[in-house]
Amino acid sequence: MMYTLDEWFVVTLARTIRDKEAVFHGFGSPCAQVAMHVAKRTHARDMLLIEGAMYALNPNPPFIPPTGNDASLKRGAAYSMRFEEFFDVAIRGDIDRMFLSGGQIDAFGNTNVTAIGRLERPKVKLGGGGGGCNISATIKRLTLWTTRHRSGRTLVDACDFITDIGHRTPAGTRAELGYTGGGPQWLVTELGVFDYEADGRARLIQVFPDVTVDLIRSVTGFEFNVVDDLRTVPPPSDVELAVVRSIDLLGVRRGEFDPGELVRTFEHAHGTTCGC
Amino acid sequence: MFLEPDKRVDLATAAGHVQDGAVVALGGGLSARLPMALVREMIRQGRSGLHVVGSAHGIDVDMLIGANAIAICEESYVGFEQDFGLAPAYRRAASSGTITLRESCCVTILTQLRAAEMGLPFLPVRGIKGTDIPRLHPEYSETTCPFTGEVLVAVPPLSPDVALLHAPMGDMHGNLHLEQPYVLDERFAGASQAVVATVDRLVSADRLADVGVTIPGYLVQAVAEVPYGAHPASCYPGYSYDREHIGAYVKAAGSDETMDEYLREWVHLPDGENGYRDRVGEASLARLAGWSESVDAWKGLFA
Repeated sequence: MMYTLDEWFVVTLARTIRDKEAVFHGFGSPCAQVAMHVAKRTHARDMLLIEGAMYALNPNPPFIPPTGNDASLKRGAAYSMRFEEFFDVAIRGDIDRMFLSGGQIDAFGNTNVTAIGRLERPKVKLGGGGGGCNISATIKRLTLWTTRHRSGRTLVDACDFITDIGHRTPAGTRAELGYTGGGPQWLVTELGVFDYEADGRARLIQVFPDVTVDLIRSVTGFEFNVVDDLRTVPPPSDVELAVVRSIDLLGVRRGEFDPGELVRTFEHAHGTTCGC
Repeated sequence: MFLEPDKRVDLATAAGHVQDGAVVALGGGLSARLPMALVREMIRQGRSGLHVVGSAHGIDVDMLIGANAIAICEESYVGFEQDFGLAPAYRRAASSGTITLRESCCVTILTQLRAAEMGLPFLPVRGIKGTDIPRLHPEYSETTCPFTGEVLVAVPPLSPDVALLHAPMGDMHGNLHLEQPYVLDERFAGASQAVVATVDRLVSADRLADVGVTIPGYLVQAVAEVPYGAHPASCYPGYSYDREHIGAYVKAAGSDETMDEYLREWVHLPDGENGYRDRVGEASLARLAGWSESVDAWKGLFA
């Protein structure tokens, strides 16, 4: 079966979710949004899927629209939380995982979604952090992702502005700041997958097969270790691919990628139908 | 409390409740139930110096910035998600220093509104520490928990001068019925000095009680009936959002010149909102209202 990088990427995000986790994505995050529905329909059937800006629980949307506040996203939901109901659960530490991205991400998983350049007159005013500045402190685990690693501008030595908290900032570690959540667990990019070492720094553990470690080093602004048994990102199964295609009927996930990434095509080796 | 039995006004009077320089909470979020008719009417009336507060917003805040109506922006997000990306007028105004950035966080804003609702001088939040958000908020402080000794960020109450809300349905007493997501509308209503609302349809108090009251009338100072008053945002169950219009807006907002053209073409119309609906056209509005006919019809609105 042939598949594309965007499909593989979404499946890789989905696999960071464990069964029976309560999982949330922020708005403007179609890859994470589709990934949650893929996980729910494959390996994490008993997860609690909290649908982005609708705060709808376990919905069955007929399609994923390109905006996070559309009523299609609460179709079939068991319940719709109020805004404050969701954020209360998040800040008291009862959400297991959140997906989080940023215009800049540093080695410790701090993210900048506020401004590039000088804060007073920023070169680029980004959209803003939504609720991340508080709930990144208390949600148990974070899956970070970016589809713009290759640009060389996203994984940086230091964020121009820290909107959401990673493992440590110049002000201290999570423990020193009194934060109850565990911080970033994974960083998935269109080039590879990182986990986090004991000192809170990102470490490369998997690469996509058309990518070299040298390329990743050349576009990453921070130093990172490479795990001894570096592997290829496990390929998606036919079932996972079928679910991606059946859920994301409008292809909203593709909007997150540079057009050059969307032509990356892969095929399962002969005789294998499952990459598990 | 607002206890007048009849709160009905026209749109111009409703928007007239907002003073230049007021702290304004805009209801809805992203592309849903934004009070766009009030936004357009404030622009027509030349409102300026506003301080907007809230969570995640889009065309409402960006258009007010493009019309030079905003001095301080304290929203947690302004943009068009992955679909159309960054908010062009917001980005331009931030880079040129014509607005004061006071970006906040959904949780912080929520906590500040709750402090105002409860009449408390502050409430603590657990996050913020270690981020750069305090650089934008010299008013934040710290407090030590008297029971555990934990040091938390303390934030002051936030009581907007006026909350501008749009609802699918309301009655003459100002009672409003909303569909989920309510976003911060209920908290805005409780914390603000006054609610000024538009509704797609005014109905009898009995009918409204049947479908359910989300915002009670005693919080509401004025209500104006404006069909499609959230367009180009959605207002379910009435209509979906107008993706084509929002896409065209984002393009137009890319420069001061084309932004002015947009405002001339869509806002500064001699016949106000009637003129606006005429320009959008009956066929387009009917298409947005036809989302419920089939999944294909609904999906087609986003293609």
